[in-house]
Amino acid sequence: MQNKDNTRFEIDYISTSGVFKTPFTLVIILQLFFGYFVLLSLNLWFYNDLYFLLTGKGFLPYVLVGEWWEWLLLPMNIYGNILLFAFSIILFSAGIFKILNKLCPPKEGIFLRGSKEWKYTHRRFWTVFFPIWLARALPLPWSDIMVYRLLGVRIGRNVVAYEGYIDPQLVEIGDFTMTSLHICIFSHLIYQDRIVIKKVKIGKTCIVGPQTIISPGTILEDGAILGANSYTWLDQHLEGDLIHVGTPVSMTFPIQSVEESLQKAERIREGKKDIVNEGNKKHKIGGKEG
Amino acid sequence: MFQPASLKGDSPSPIDEGIRNKYLFLYLIIVFLSFYPCIILEYVYVILLWKKGFYLIFFLLVPLNILILIHVLQLSAVLFSFLFLTIIKLLFLPKEGVFNRDLKDKNYLFWNLRNIAKKWPLFINGSNPFPWLKNRFILRFFGVKIGKNGIIDNSWISSEFVSIGKNVILGMGSTLLSFGIEQDKFFLKRIIIEDNVLIGAKCIIMPGTYMEQNAKLSAHSYTKIDDVLIENSINIGHPAKMKKN
Repeated sequence: MQNKDNTRFEIDYISTSGVFKTPFTLVIILQLFFGYFVLLSLNLWFYNDLYFLLTGKGFLPYVLVGEWWEWLLLPMNIYGNILLFAFSIILFSAGIFKILNKLCPPKEGIFLRGSKEWKYTHRRFWTVFFPIWLARALPLPWSDIMVYRLLGVRIGRNVVAYEGYIDPQLVEIGDFTMTSLHICIFSHLIYQDRIVIKKVKIGKTCIVGPQTIISPGTILEDGAILGANSYTWLDQHLEGDLIHVGTPVSMTFPIQSVEESLQKAERIREGKKDIVNEGNKKHKIGGKEG
Repeated sequence: MFQPASLKGDSPSPIDEGIRNKYLFLYLIIVFLSFYPCIILEYVYVILLWKKGFYLIFFLLVPLNILILIHVLQLSAVLFSFLFLTIIKLLFLPKEGVFNRDLKDKNYLFWNLRNIAKKWPLFINGSNPFPWLKNRFILRFFGVKIGKNGIIDNSWISSEFVSIGKNVILGMGSTLLSFGIEQDKFFLKRIIIEDNVLIGAKCIIMPGTYMEQNAKLSAHSYTKIDDVLIENSINIGHPAKMKKN
């Protein structure tokens, strides 16, 4: 399973990304308190000023601004508070994430349970647990992409990321790529008592189909399409401008234009043999099925 | 883990449409009752701390109050649904087997009733943003045994006829179904998962599956009904077959 250089390895099965509950989960309470204090201080200032404008005397011993235009902020109060709470927590935990990255930068390889890398991956994951939950609870479609960018995941322009699981470290997504519903992009896997970490790279204008799993080490070249309900094995390399299907990925098809598929439909309707499909190159890439 | 709403690990508890409206009151009563402990908590909090000289502490402890509030809501929801569940179980004891999918069949009717009683706590459990007191704590009240030191919060686990051992890792988005519906038949079969089992991401464990110790199921595969996965084996495929080395 493990070579000397700790970079290439074979595995018998694809497991899952799993994170054990460590005492570091208490960082969520810290994040909660931080977000709340930002909220509290700003609201105390705001309502103190409004109170001052109404009565000529604040309930706090000092008044900071006390201008008429503060009434204009009142309609924003409820929704603004929600956004303020979420984004202060997101920025705060991005800061913690950066510090953890400085202490122990994410590395590729196999690590034993209880080693330094194992501990720090767990810490990183529990740091981003709550902010990403908040970002997905907000009704803004770009909020979770923004969080991933703040955490240091390289996500290009015009990326569509539907609801799905994406690891917050060692993942790279190119411009104009779409990831569909219910996908799992793993850059780490549990393997027996070890953790396997490898970088995932998704190129430009790719499509990742629904219900797929992308294992660590997978590289999708520019324009590659991963079909629905398929998954990739460790270290699979998917060529560009082709459709890849299989569990694990073993077949490739060319991408047809609309005219080509119409012609094909007509041929089938006439009862002729399907010429296009016979000419397809079908080759095994990483079929490891027993 | 920070799974999205589509992968948040809500336990599957479907309810027959013929019964959903008729027994809605049962669901509403549980929802209604479960808010009373929360009201009592908030009342005590305000009475104790909203005094002269304590205002600062009142404001400082609000996040902790919210954290406790969510868990109190979860706990009270579980307790009240447990109360109704025991009454339902006294009326008709749940048992395994193959039954008619018809509301005249008592097994099917009472399975639906049990699902109505469980719906609210399972919903709260799924939407709770904090990683403490999740699946393992909640499902224990419904008769699911789950051992320690596992990863079980990322998957959909049926809330009855399931037993899971120690050190078990259930993959993200995998499903454990102890019930099944096929044409006009309905069946309930126990899933047994022993110690140190690993189940990959997006697996489906069908009713009656028995996974022995150290068995492994690779990601994206499913088992057959009444399947037995042997000790120390690696299983893969659709449906899962043992991998030969």
